[in-house]
Amino acid sequence: MAEAIDYFQFVLAPQMVIGLVLGIAVILVALGLTIIFGLLDVINMSHGEFYALGAFLSVSLAALGVPFWLLLVLVPALMLPIGYIVERVLIQRVFHSPDRHVTTLLLTFGFGLVLEDVFRLIWGPNPLRPDMPISGAVEIAGLFLPLYRVFMIGVGVLIIIGTALVVYRTRIGAMVRAAAFDRNMAASLGVPVQLVYAGAFAFGVSLAGLAGVLLAPIYSVFPTMGRDFILMAFTVVIVGGMGSIAGAVIAGLFLTQVQAIASLYISPVWADPIVFGIMVIMLMVRPQGLFGRLGHA
Amino acid sequence: MRTFRTVALAVVMSATALSSIHAADPIKIGVVTPLSGTYAGIGQQVKWGLELATKEVNAAGGIMGRPIELIFEDEEANPAVAVQKADKVFQVNKVDFLTGTVNSGSTLAVGQVAERAGKLMATTVSFADSITTDKCSPNVYRVNARAGQQSSALAVWMSKDKPKAKVFYLGPDYEMGRSTVAAFKQSAEKVGAQSGGEVFAPLDSKDYTQYFGQLRASRPQVLYTSVAGNDTVRLFTQLQEFGLLNNLTVVGASGTVTAQNIGAIGKAAEGFVTGVGYSAEIGTPENKKFVEAFRAANKTDPDLYGADSYGLIYAYKAAVEKAQSTDTDKVREAFKDLKWNTPQGEKTLRAGDHQAVQTMYVVQVKGGKFSIVGEVKGEDAIGPDTCTRF
Repeated sequence: MAEAIDYFQFVLAPQMVIGLVLGIAVILVALGLTIIFGLLDVINMSHGEFYALGAFLSVSLAALGVPFWLLLVLVPALMLPIGYIVERVLIQRVFHSPDRHVTTLLLTFGFGLVLEDVFRLIWGPNPLRPDMPISGAVEIAGLFLPLYRVFMIGVGVLIIIGTALVVYRTRIGAMVRAAAFDRNMAASLGVPVQLVYAGAFAFGVSLAGLAGVLLAPIYSVFPTMGRDFILMAFTVVIVGGMGSIAGAVIAGLFLTQVQAIASLYISPVWADPIVFGIMVIMLMVRPQGLFGRLGHA
Repeated sequence: MRTFRTVALAVVMSATALSSIHAADPIKIGVVTPLSGTYAGIGQQVKWGLELATKEVNAAGGIMGRPIELIFEDEEANPAVAVQKADKVFQVNKVDFLTGTVNSGSTLAVGQVAERAGKLMATTVSFADSITTDKCSPNVYRVNARAGQQSSALAVWMSKDKPKAKVFYLGPDYEMGRSTVAAFKQSAEKVGAQSGGEVFAPLDSKDYTQYFGQLRASRPQVLYTSVAGNDTVRLFTQLQEFGLLNNLTVVGASGTVTAQNIGAIGKAAEGFVTGVGYSAEIGTPENKKFVEAFRAANKTDPDLYGADSYGLIYAYKAAVEKAQSTDTDKVREAFKDLKWNTPQGEKTLRAGDHQAVQTMYVVQVKGGKFSIVGEVKGEDAIGPDTCTRF
């Protein structure tokens, strides 16, 4: 029995915490993705690059002497106009074409590739490593936890709750959900649909940027960093139900725990196929995911 | 155009050769080394080491009264380019001996060129065991320590400092990672270490924390790793963040923590142990004199590449003087079990596989710098001769 407790405290619990940190990180990236999909019906393949852009902006601003706390506000604020412009200039142009899914997917995919090369031109190909804003660690009940990761879990939970409140409890959120449910009806009732679309896209992009700021000190910053999370984030969105915030949270936490615990017994490299396997099974059995689309629940 | 250039070059070369025949005819050594690209830093040390030794030898009257002339060619750390450049120095410059190759692939490829040209060559840098084991060549020598010597030196140190330790292995998931882990595991188990499991992470992993579960579960006293470059930075800082470095000794390959990444790793590198063939810290008078001269000439400390390249010139000098000729067969005969002095002490070129036997050093990071914590005798680290070709 003592052995089991020891195993839990020294092996299993730390691994679950590591999984939780990864889970929050993935959810933060998936959140913007699921909102953009749920509302605009656009699969944003450049989402990972917006996440990278947030990280790069945070590195550059930090080099100018901007404190980390301010970056958490400043970078998402800078990302808003960028997202807004991208939606109006790029996505709106092809939004009304008959095969919207394919065109927007290809468009955002191409845009992501361009962004990646732009990062390489501006910041160079080598990884940049921002300083940990909070160093040190705490020991809770025999568990050794790096403070920054604890902070990240806390801030991540706040962001998730905040986003849910905005979407489900505010007037703006109601307009967003109305536009997602029936854009023609919403438009005829006076909802500025075009503005809501661009605004929601900008909001999703801004969330990706915020995730970039938060994760940069842990995962380093480099041009292809967007690819690392995007596959996992897509899996979370698919399993959770495209466009569902609750679904993204539940699927995000569940899949990363599966990955973390599986990594104890098999090579961590093989934990990924398990996660993607769950996604494939989900697509076969319940293609709409755990929860329905935004505005349709 | 190409042929024209080669012909023109040959004419110029032969003209200069003719004009110098009256003076003492120089002994020419071709240096095919990376002077640009990823390994340019290593090539620079090779060049500095060779030039310093050449200057000293020439000042003292050269080899049998003949001065040494170095002919440099940039091989760009690319075996294909190295082969062309080696052909060029053998055929056009008519060099007597060749050295400089860094990348193990270049060394193996240039070794074949040397065989065809009927000349001898030596590497002063390449680590891959195969060069003096299963892919050994009668025309190729290695005067630096190979990977196997580094890992057995480390294993010998571990058996004294951490007897019967439980070791966990974490390597990058490709040829180099798997072979270094397998080699160290073999040497470690020979001296009584237990194995606590092994994992391989893809090259360029961003997050090593998911590998920590298996590491914790095995509760090792020692972690062996052969990750390199930026991977080391991430692995070490993440280990430190999660408090895993307490009561854990981290040991690794000689390329894991280097001058290039030690700054970025910071405090997390403290206590790291590895086995090397040279360190500028070696306290012998010969080495102090060498380090001083190197520093005066190049404004920087020599590393293992600079020191081993410096030592090579003296090995070649000793062999040519013993043979009283630069003829390939006579020099090969003279190289057999040749003993000569280098900054890191006396080395022996083993006749059976052309591998230098030398004292190995175990170094540990203390206060952000490597310092020597142990020495392992050459015979204890060299391992069996497995070359069957000659």
